[in-house]
Amino acid sequence: MPALVASAFFGAICPTSFERKVYMNKRWLRRMDFTLIFATAAIILMSLVIIGSATHINTAAGGSFVQRQGLFALVNIALAVFFMNFDYKMLQRYGMTLYWINLALLVAVMLFGHSALGAQRWIQIGPISLQPSEFSKIIMIISLAALLEDKVGKLNTLHDLLPIAAFVGVPFLLVLKQPDLGTSLVFIAIFLGMIFAAGVNLKLLGAIFGAGLLASPILWHFLKDYQKMRILVFLDPNVDPLGSGYHIIQSEIAIGSGQLFGKGLFEGTQSQLDFLPENHTDFIFAVVGEELGFVGAAFLLIMYLILLWRGIKIARDASDTFGMLLAVGITSMLVFHVLVNIGMTMGIMPVTGIPLPLMSYGISSLTTNIMSIAILLNVYMKKQRLVF
Amino acid sequence: MSDYENRLKILSGLIVCAVMLLIARAGYLQVYQGDEYVRRADGNRTRLIPTMAPRGTFFDRNGLSIVENRPGFTVSLLPLTAPIKPEVVDRVSKLLNVPKEEIEAKIKAHTGYEPIRIKTDVGPEALTVIEEQSALYPGVIIEVQAVRDYLYKEQGAHILGYVSEISDMELEERKNEGYKTGDIIGQFGLERVYDKELRGKNGGELVEVDVTGKPVQILGQKEPMSGYDFHLTIDWRLQAATEKAVDDQLNLIGAKAAAAVVMNPQTGEVLALVSRPAFDPNLFVHGISEKNWKLINENPYDPLGNKAIMGEYPPGSTFKIVTGTAALSEEVVTPTEQILDTGVYWLGEKGNAGGEVLGWLDFTSALAHSDNYYFYEMGYRLGVDRLEKYARMFGLGEKTGINLPYEGEGLAPSRTYKEKYLEEEWYDSETLDAAIGQGFNLVTPLQAAMVMGEIAANGQRYKPYLVSKIVDSEGKIIKEYKPTLLSTLDVPDSVIQLVQQGLRDVTKEGTAAGVFGAYFPVDIAGKTGTAENPQGADHGWFVAYGPFNNPNIVVSVIVENGGFGSQSAVPIGKKILEAAFSIAGLMPGGR
Repeated sequence: MPALVASAFFGAICPTSFERKVYMNKRWLRRMDFTLIFATAAIILMSLVIIGSATHINTAAGGSFVQRQGLFALVNIALAVFFMNFDYKMLQRYGMTLYWINLALLVAVMLFGHSALGAQRWIQIGPISLQPSEFSKIIMIISLAALLEDKVGKLNTLHDLLPIAAFVGVPFLLVLKQPDLGTSLVFIAIFLGMIFAAGVNLKLLGAIFGAGLLASPILWHFLKDYQKMRILVFLDPNVDPLGSGYHIIQSEIAIGSGQLFGKGLFEGTQSQLDFLPENHTDFIFAVVGEELGFVGAAFLLIMYLILLWRGIKIARDASDTFGMLLAVGITSMLVFHVLVNIGMTMGIMPVTGIPLPLMSYGISSLTTNIMSIAILLNVYMKKQRLVF
Repeated sequence: MSDYENRLKILSGLIVCAVMLLIARAGYLQVYQGDEYVRRADGNRTRLIPTMAPRGTFFDRNGLSIVENRPGFTVSLLPLTAPIKPEVVDRVSKLLNVPKEEIEAKIKAHTGYEPIRIKTDVGPEALTVIEEQSALYPGVIIEVQAVRDYLYKEQGAHILGYVSEISDMELEERKNEGYKTGDIIGQFGLERVYDKELRGKNGGELVEVDVTGKPVQILGQKEPMSGYDFHLTIDWRLQAATEKAVDDQLNLIGAKAAAAVVMNPQTGEVLALVSRPAFDPNLFVHGISEKNWKLINENPYDPLGNKAIMGEYPPGSTFKIVTGTAALSEEVVTPTEQILDTGVYWLGEKGNAGGEVLGWLDFTSALAHSDNYYFYEMGYRLGVDRLEKYARMFGLGEKTGINLPYEGEGLAPSRTYKEKYLEEEWYDSETLDAAIGQGFNLVTPLQAAMVMGEIAANGQRYKPYLVSKIVDSEGKIIKEYKPTLLSTLDVPDSVIQLVQQGLRDVTKEGTAAGVFGAYFPVDIAGKTGTAENPQGADHGWFVAYGPFNNPNIVVSVIVENGGFGSQSAVPIGKKILEAAFSIAGLMPGGR
């Protein structure tokens, strides 16, 4: 098996060696979604450049963030290429197993994880801090797709829906408890996206929304003080201009002052002088906006649009329901991340602390997202043959 | 199949909407509102850091430097992104020994980007702690600021005054004149009068700072313009001698308060000006400590008051100069008319202090021996109105116009004054009191010196002044002050000469002869006085000028509660005259 990995990976680089593999690669290539690959690659490259700028790579004090992110991007791409040898359909068999592993991991975080910034999200493995809630998103999508596969078109009553809600509800509550409001909301987005695609009765969905809306004042009481503050600050950043509102105000200043063409790479005063906090992680879009201007920001958003649009396209062309559900789940996850993260940096979404896919610095997030793209590509590869 | 096809189409529609929403928002922030955000980003990263202009300094008449500036270190707070933490305030409070409440009040009152100055002129120990443990002091910065240095401490304090940080009340009053919070402002003396000229114009640096307020680069600069330097008429050595003479005498007789003025009667230049008790202006520079302020403020003899120009005392017998001049000019007496002092004057039943009876006296001997009986008679013959006329001719009852703040105007004996303010008519006995410098009759030590100076200068009254020239930092003269003749006494020359002779006899055979003796090398004219003080012991006066034939020194001394002038004030006057006439270069030979 390791030989196969190596040949698959290096085969792509040195196509002249190993004729048999060359043939394989050509078949692969024909079945690759190059549009999706292009958008993904563009975003990852942009991410490395912007992380470099945000972490002052041009100065002596610059960190090794770019190197780490770049290295892990390569490792993940290699892994992704390796996974192309498998059929995504086999994931369906492991759906329940993965689900239990996921729960075990989340409980482990609760018991052994260490906390940062008031939330218990990390598990330390050697030199690497892992964030199981990141991986739990993709596991959630796989196991939910496996569960929903034979229920498409049969989600008409509350009785049909309740077990599925409970299935998502348990990991949801575990993540919420960490507390990681952002990721738990991603679970809801995935859940809604997938049951929508699985043909849930829209009246039922509407009723659930209505009930949720009515229940929100009660939910408010369960939020931590800082979470309440975030929502208040979202409604009016000037509530707390030197506290939680500071991030939003500085981020908006950074983006707005970038104007049409930006201040230039390494020239963003907000970012380079550290007025912008978390500028290589959650607020990386503000660096794009400040240094590359509206042109750069719009380019990045178009890349995301292409990526997401390909996600839906892959769902539509999927050879089976499981593949379709996987693609919808992944796309729902990504669109939620993009909308909430970028919206947050521009003051139209509350601060929830979820990263921007493929852009934000962070190994767990990067791994999850590249694996998600890999699954999309895998589903695409096995798509229905169109009538030639 | 087609059902979920439709639903996927809806999903793609939602995705397009979401991304379009984000693009629209970016366009709104970056293109539509971009200029506004550029302005805010610049406001974030740039700071205008004022550079204090060096305050002008002072020199005495011989070019001796008496006030300078030295660099001092100020500890300030600079809260940029987050408020200063309470534990940091605690640490700063302990380290600098500044009450926590005071720091908190300053933080509360602070607006804008400028540092909050907590303590100026901080010693090296505290600075080392802040620099070495900077992690414990986030937001605490050290600034270099010029600190006023009064080189001679208490000496000349009432002339120079002092400076301190502008108070909220002054700021409110003088906002339009360009004063800002934290500015240093002259509070007293010349520092106050000439604050505008002394302070110069502050410059500034436009610097780019990072989020912690640390400067990254300088974007622009405006050089500060130094304040103007002041050359004074004061002779610093004579000032020192005068202060020593006063202090020695106060110690000797156990008195606490006194004042002395030394002038050139031919020009109006003030050569020395002393008030006791005094204060050290350096104490105010750092923001005066509560303990020191208590010491000054609760001292019953008011160290902050400049008694030489603010203290109003009955002139006592020194006023006989005015009464005598009036009597001769109005010809109510001839110089040779002999009047018999019989001990007790018929009106008011008063005589000389101690009941001395001097017998037959003409004008000059009456003045030399300061005979009350003779001058009661003069007062009686003149009446209060003519007495007032001459008092005003000498410049009494009004400010001299010296360039120092809070000058007193004294009180010329006046019928209308009493009627106006006390609503009582004037009694003849009060005219007698006024004639010998008691009752409704008050002068400042400076006015007393002026009266003596007018006699010395043959009737010419020059405006007293302290500043000879103002120069800029390159030595260019901005303004030069010349003697100003205010008025000339409207009396015959012969009258002035008679008064002069009477005053010379004071040091030869009269009330000051005991102190001056027969061998004083310079011919001195003088007049003693003893001002009755209903609150306690009498105040002793002495006014004098010399050399008699071409006077360039006039002296006025008062010792509060010193008793007889001849015993308390004359010894001081004598020492001052000794100092004045043994100093080379001080005798320019008149004009």
